[in-house]
Order: sequence, then C-alpha cells, then structure tokens
Amino acid sequence: MRTFEQKWTAWLDGQLSGSELTEFEASLPDKAAAEAEKANAKKLGALLKREIGAHGLANEEFFSHQLRERIARESARPSRERDGGVSTWWTIRRLLWTGTASLAVFLAFAIFVMHDKNPAEQSQYLTQILNARVDPVVSPNATISMFEAKEDRVTVLWTEGLQSLPADYAAK
Amino acid sequence: MQTEATPAQADVSELDLVKRCQAGDTEAFNELVTRYRTRIFGMIYNMVHSEQDAWDLAQDSFVKAWKSIKRFRGHSSFYTWIYRIVMNVTIDWLRKKQVKGECGEFDDAIQLKEIDPASKTVPKADALPYETMKRSEIRARIENAIAQLSPEHRAVILMKEIEEMQYHEIAETLRCSIGTVMSRLFYARKKLQNLLKDVYENI
Repeated sequence: MRTFEQKWTAWLDGQLSGSELTEFEASLPDKAAAEAEKANAKKLGALLKREIGAHGLANEEFFSHQLRERIARESARPSRERDGGVSTWWTIRRLLWTGTASLAVFLAFAIFVMHDKNPAEQSQYLTQILNARVDPVVSPNATISMFEAKEDRVTVLWTEGLQSLPADYAAK
Repeated sequence: MQTEATPAQADVSELDLVKRCQAGDTEAFNELVTRYRTRIFGMIYNMVHSEQDAWDLAQDSFVKAWKSIKRFRGHSSFYTWIYRIVMNVTIDWLRKKQVKGECGEFDDAIQLKEIDPASKTVPKADALPYETMKRSEIRARIENAIAQLSPEHRAVILMKEIEEMQYHEIAETLRCSIGTVMSRLFYARKKLQNLLKDVYENI
C-alpha cells in the first residue's frame, strides 16, 4: 500500500499507469494546482541538471596516479597488519605480558622500599620549596629556598641575590 | 548511464574487468577508475560542495572498492555496486561532520574558482561577465539549498535528477525500499521547490 507521498512522486515521474493513474488523478482535490506543481517539479529537475550536472574532475590523470600509489602502498603492507584478527590477538597478548611484568616490577619495588628504612641515607630535610616569589624586575638574580629540618624542628628560609626584602617576608 | 569509456575501452566488458580485478590485476581496476572517476567525483562534489573533500572521498571510495572487489558477486551492475560504496562513504562523512557541527554550506574557494572563465563549470566561450556571475550566483543558491537537505535526501534527489537513476537502482544503492526512495524524493523536491522557487521561475 503506497502512501500519498509515494504516489505523488510516482505521478510526477510518470511512473503511474492504468487504473492506478486514474485513481490517483481522481483523488486529487485540485487537478489544475497539481499539474502546476508537476510543472514546477520538472523545472526544478531541469534547473538542477543544467546548473550542477557536470562538475568536472580536474587533473584526472593525477587522480588515478594518486589512487594507484595508494593502492600499491596499502597492498604492500604486511599481511599481519591487514589481518585485523591476528593484529588484535597480538595486541591482547602483548598487553597481558606487559601488565603482568609491570605488576611484578611494582611489587618488587614496593617490598624493597618498605623494608629499606635506613635513616642515614635519608635527607635531614623534610621539604625543600624552591618557588621563589620575588619580583624579577626588582631582584633579577634573587632565589629563595625554604628548608625544614626535621631533627631541629626549625624552618630555614635561604635567600640569595635580594636587593630588598619583600613585604610578604617581613618579620611580624 | 554515461561513462568516460573510449571505444577501445568499451570493447572490454565491465564484467571482464571486474574478474581481472578480483584476480589482483590493478591495471583492470585502473580502467574501471578511468570509466567512473569523473561521474563519481561529480556526484560526491554535489553532495559535499568542496572539491578537496570530494577528491578525498572519491579516493577513499575507490580504495574501499578495490579492497572489497572480491566480494562483488555481480548481482547488480558494477556501477550500482561502486555507487553504494560511494554513498556509504559520503553519507557517513556528512553525518560525522554534522555531529561535529562543521556543516558549512559550501566553501568560498570553489565559489571564486567558478568565476574563472577557464573553469569547466561555465560555458567555454561567449559568456559575458554578467552571465558568468549570474550563473555562479544561481549555482551558489542551488548548492546552498542542497546543503539544507539531509544526506539521504541529497543522495536521492541527485541520483534521480542528475544521474537519472531509476527508483530500484537508487534503492539498491542506498539499501532501502523503493517506497523509501519515493518518500525521500517527495520531501527533497518539496524543500528544494520552496527554496529555489524564485530561481527556476525567473529563468
């Protein structure tokens, strides 16, 4: 069972015949308006055909040359790359191996760190802050470092190259 | 349907060429490309309105055709078969572009090129500048109107009006029913008639 839209299209394109054509035309409320619409559709078709019908391909030979090169390049790829299934299998297997090896390395490293508690090898400073907040225009060569000595529970502010002490650092 | 085949090429049947392609003969495929490249490029251009994109999509379509030529069983003509690939590639591309929100109506570079009197899209001789400009404007209006259609509606109207394909060929190409083709044609025509009424009535 065709819809009205389908019958209309078939009628415009001259694809209705016999009783189907008679029935459809009889069902049209305004035959003259429908004929005008049909003429407009024909004009539209002619306009499209005339104006956009022949958009040429410039450099046809280069098009073919480029295509031949691309096909040759793709055909030359190893079959392993072309075969998606094999490629996926290798990727999964490699991922599994990599994952297992990484886990083993991590565990070994974690055990080593947990058991190695030799304080002599650790720094006597807990933190070292190197973000100097100095105006580069006023003190171009200035650097500020801050140390916190764990043993002595003191914080040391080490400044070098300051022309003047910034207001932020003034003792209160 | 017209092709670029020369008389010598026409002697070699399409089916023979396809069989040679299936055996891995790239020269045979090259002959098929020569027969259809202009038509396919033109069709894609009318869908996407950009020469560069049309070039790339035509290349992609032919590469895809080469890769899957062994699966061609000859149930339809080679032309319908490759058109199906072309339409899939182009409609997918347009859909992705729509999702990304990049759907420009048409590119300015082409508009400028169309004014060039040497361009193939204008008459070769005796075209007055005013006529050339007028045609360029008309073409821009048409491309603008087509750009407002969905990819599927663009495909059916172009295959019907430009390629003069039959309903069943369009249906086969787009893998849909003939009824769907007719419905899409109805809506595509209605929309274009509304958008281009002043153009086709004043020519």
